[in-house]
Amino acid sequence: MIRTLLALIFAATTLRAAETAVFSLKTMTAQMKYDIPELLVQPGQPVQLTFENGDDLPHNLVFCQPGTETAAMAMKQMENAEAALKRNWLPDDPRIWAHSKMLNPHEKETLTFTAPEKTGTYPYVCTFPGHALTMRGELKVMKAGEGLKDLHFALYLGNWKQMPDFSKLKPHREGKVDSNLIEVKLDDYKNEFGVVFTGKLNAPKKGPYRFFISSDDGSRLLIDGKEVVSYDGIHPAGDIKEKSIPLEQGEHEFRLEYFQGGGNIDLYAAWKGSDFQITPLSKWLHPNWKGGAKKQKEFDPIPLAVTTEPVIYRNFIQGAGNRGIGVGYPGGINLAWSAESMNLALIWRGAFIDASKHWNSRGGGHQPPLGYDVLQPTGEVTPAFFVTDKPDAAWPTWDKTKRYDGFAWKGYALDAKRSSTFRYSWHDAEIEESFTVEGNGNKPDGNAKLSRTVKVSGKLPANAWYRIASGQFESKDGSFLIKGVKPFLITSAGAQIAGANLVIPATPGTMTITYQWAQ
Amino acid sequence: MKRLFLFLALCAPIFAADPQESDFYKITTFETPKETALEVGSIELLPDGKLIMGTRRGEIWIVSGAGSSDASNVSYKLFASGLHEVLGIAYNPKDKNIYATTRYEITRLKDVDGDGRADIFDNFCDQWGVSGDYHEYAIGSRFDKAGDLWVTLCLTGSFNSSAEFRGWALRIKPDGKMVPTCSGIRSPGGLGFDADGEAYYCDNQGPWHGSCTLQHLVPGSFQGHPGGNIWYDKAPNMGPRPIDPLPEAFQGDRKRGDKTPHVDTDRMVTERERIKQLLPPAVYLVHGKIGNSASAIICDLSGGKFGPFSKQLFVADQSHSNLSRVFLETINGIKQGVVIPFRSGFASGLIGGRMDEEGRVFVGGSDRGWGARGGKPFCFEKCEWTGKTPFEVHEMRAKPDGFELTFTQPVDTTTAGDVKSYSMREFTYAYREEYGGDEVSEIIPKITAAKVAADGKSVRLTISPLTKGHIHELHLDGVKNAEGQALLHKVGYYTLNEIPTK
Repeated sequence: MIRTLLALIFAATTLRAAETAVFSLKTMTAQMKYDIPELLVQPGQPVQLTFENGDDLPHNLVFCQPGTETAAMAMKQMENAEAALKRNWLPDDPRIWAHSKMLNPHEKETLTFTAPEKTGTYPYVCTFPGHALTMRGELKVMKAGEGLKDLHFALYLGNWKQMPDFSKLKPHREGKVDSNLIEVKLDDYKNEFGVVFTGKLNAPKKGPYRFFISSDDGSRLLIDGKEVVSYDGIHPAGDIKEKSIPLEQGEHEFRLEYFQGGGNIDLYAAWKGSDFQITPLSKWLHPNWKGGAKKQKEFDPIPLAVTTEPVIYRNFIQGAGNRGIGVGYPGGINLAWSAESMNLALIWRGAFIDASKHWNSRGGGHQPPLGYDVLQPTGEVTPAFFVTDKPDAAWPTWDKTKRYDGFAWKGYALDAKRSSTFRYSWHDAEIEESFTVEGNGNKPDGNAKLSRTVKVSGKLPANAWYRIASGQFESKDGSFLIKGVKPFLITSAGAQIAGANLVIPATPGTMTITYQWAQ
Repeated sequence: MKRLFLFLALCAPIFAADPQESDFYKITTFETPKETALEVGSIELLPDGKLIMGTRRGEIWIVSGAGSSDASNVSYKLFASGLHEVLGIAYNPKDKNIYATTRYEITRLKDVDGDGRADIFDNFCDQWGVSGDYHEYAIGSRFDKAGDLWVTLCLTGSFNSSAEFRGWALRIKPDGKMVPTCSGIRSPGGLGFDADGEAYYCDNQGPWHGSCTLQHLVPGSFQGHPGGNIWYDKAPNMGPRPIDPLPEAFQGDRKRGDKTPHVDTDRMVTERERIKQLLPPAVYLVHGKIGNSASAIICDLSGGKFGPFSKQLFVADQSHSNLSRVFLETINGIKQGVVIPFRSGFASGLIGGRMDEEGRVFVGGSDRGWGARGGKPFCFEKCEWTGKTPFEVHEMRAKPDGFELTFTQPVDTTTAGDVKSYSMREFTYAYREEYGGDEVSEIIPKITAAKVAADGKSVRLTISPLTKGHIHELHLDGVKNAEGQALLHKVGYYTLNEIPTK
């Protein structure tokens, strides 16, 4: 009898640990980081890890013993760089127990290995010179916790928007769950039902235990009859709800309530103790737990503060092409100018811009405005001036491989208040555009306004038009309302609607245009 | 006493510290303005002893007091902000304006109202393309002797050029006109001039570059990476487009990352014969040994105030946070020479650098994006000669049958005249599209003679064979000076593009 029991426990343990942990780990482009800084495995668990180099520098993935100072280990190679180079920057160090090859950009390698038997935190790192300080993570080897015992289910039928009081309802069907893993069988009911799972959970010692649930739709977890965590209502299984509670050593009553309205069916539960890792109690694994991996965080934001004078930010601004010049004015009104189309590219109110995308790592990519109610008056990187005898015609659109003929960017000047005037030429005309702001862009009271003054000197071609905005317009008290999610009021003497264009016949002199967020 | 000295000398490795780089060149780390991350990208001298620095965050700072022996005298004033990465900055003594090289434009900045902040931002030249890819850095120079500015433009990524003149070096004439000057640039890290005013840039290890390199920007030349050669039709002054290196790399079913089939035959030295515009790197900054990410080029024009290396070049490295020293010569019309480690231990990845007339080297940079040994996220530092002369190889010149070495101090004729004090290894890199590459085609030549000159300051090595196109790695482990001291740096890497005939 004892012999049989031992064999059973052994089989159960190996069965769990023998399940291969499958991971996919990538180097992030231009960030000198892996996308996953933490991997969780069980002692002796087989691991299959696909390592992909998404960056355009060479990288490897080297697993070391707990306590290894990985940066120092990588750096030590420099003492004999020649030998290190021959080893392709894999340190000759006994503390390394698994590693990939040095992958060239966009190469992939699948590693299979067995996790160490000894629990602990095993650092992993790229040992290419200079990378180890930031390109690193931790493989945590921890045993799994115990699962549920004596698991039963009770199925209820009903159409609920909130968790019902199942104690007052009569089960449609009851039974035992042989696998002792929470799962929703999909064979008979797909919509409008509820399930209550009950079972026993053994806390190996007195201490805090953390419980995790997620579901589509509602769910609620109770231990010993007391609610621990709830995720009520109709929703997808996007979030994971979690809470820690103290438990005495020994067996506890486990109860998980779930209801399904319609659509997708998902139900996940897991727990974690001080000496065992997150252990699923459900058959399904939430995508964020898969393989026990935690995804890397994005950069902390670096919002540029605008206080007493305008702030300029020349960079890749989403919606303003590749030669964007952002200007944040005091009072929460902002614009982006395009030094490519020589035109106002964006207007927005509220906060100016977050520089973290460009001021971390290598500085590529386009950053959208940080504020809200963004207006792109005429489409991305399109010029204001155009020669046409049909002002309702389509204006030129951006060809990323070319510059617009006839336009030349001259630069900008700051006045005593550090407000900018943009200068450019178009054929034989010289143009200066300047801006002033009124009202408070941080308040949605309809008074925030941007005024644009366009001074044209020199000679303009015949049939030259200046487009202020494009879209669907209606006249309103001498102004024009541009329809959209957030309507704008545009005012300019001489402006006229021509199809989807709001235009002014271009002549030397001064044009004034105001853009106002409508109430 | 003498006995004691001998005892100490014998135990030198244990008791007396060997000479350190810091005995000869000291580094001073400046405090930087609290309100910003001063990620120095470029440094220029102003006429009044001040410095002007451009940063990766697009700011321009005027720095006073950095030349002072007391580092706490340094002060900063923000001249401009909001520019798109200032990786080149130049002061024009003629119009007294500042020229900042940014991603897509050289901006001419003027302070009209004299309040110390720029108020005019003129477009001086914006005639090259930009796509939004992070890789498309633009590295600018100060003014050359003709009054031109130079710009090197990084490719779009490592392989291609998707915006006009990405992968080119350009000159901007005083009227703002752009002159396409060299093709074949991959990922430039710095631009500088030698004592004669010749322009050089550093390229980084990657496709077609087994290692970082120092390259001579000869107008009309092709610098090796064919990715940007699609723009030849927009540069009629450059003549016909060069034939592609290793055309098989672009044909057939091969994909990027596939092994090059004829890896052992792909060589710069043979492709030079076929591609007449191809100019080999003047010096390979041997990967992993000299650096991993070459950046600023600084010429010593201080006339001895920076020590014994007058007119030599100093090349910075972002990843290794160090400076290396380069001696160049011209053989058969081609620049080539030796690189020798010089000074390590800077606080962050070095990007910008400039020496003033007093021989103070100002450097700065950041570790952002690639990591750096220094350990700090950014830095602004000064490197100065302490007045003590290190025992170093001063120059290394190619000879028809070997090399001539000069030293900063008289050598011990016994050790310096012993061939066993030296060892040499020759190698090269494959010239191919794959990223980086190993040191290949190793040759261990014989050192058949080491003849010390009568003045004890030079040694003539006879080497067999010399290999055209190979890097000749010379170790001088046994060479001592007259006081019995070993060299501070016992290795040099000479790139032998040409073997002289006399």
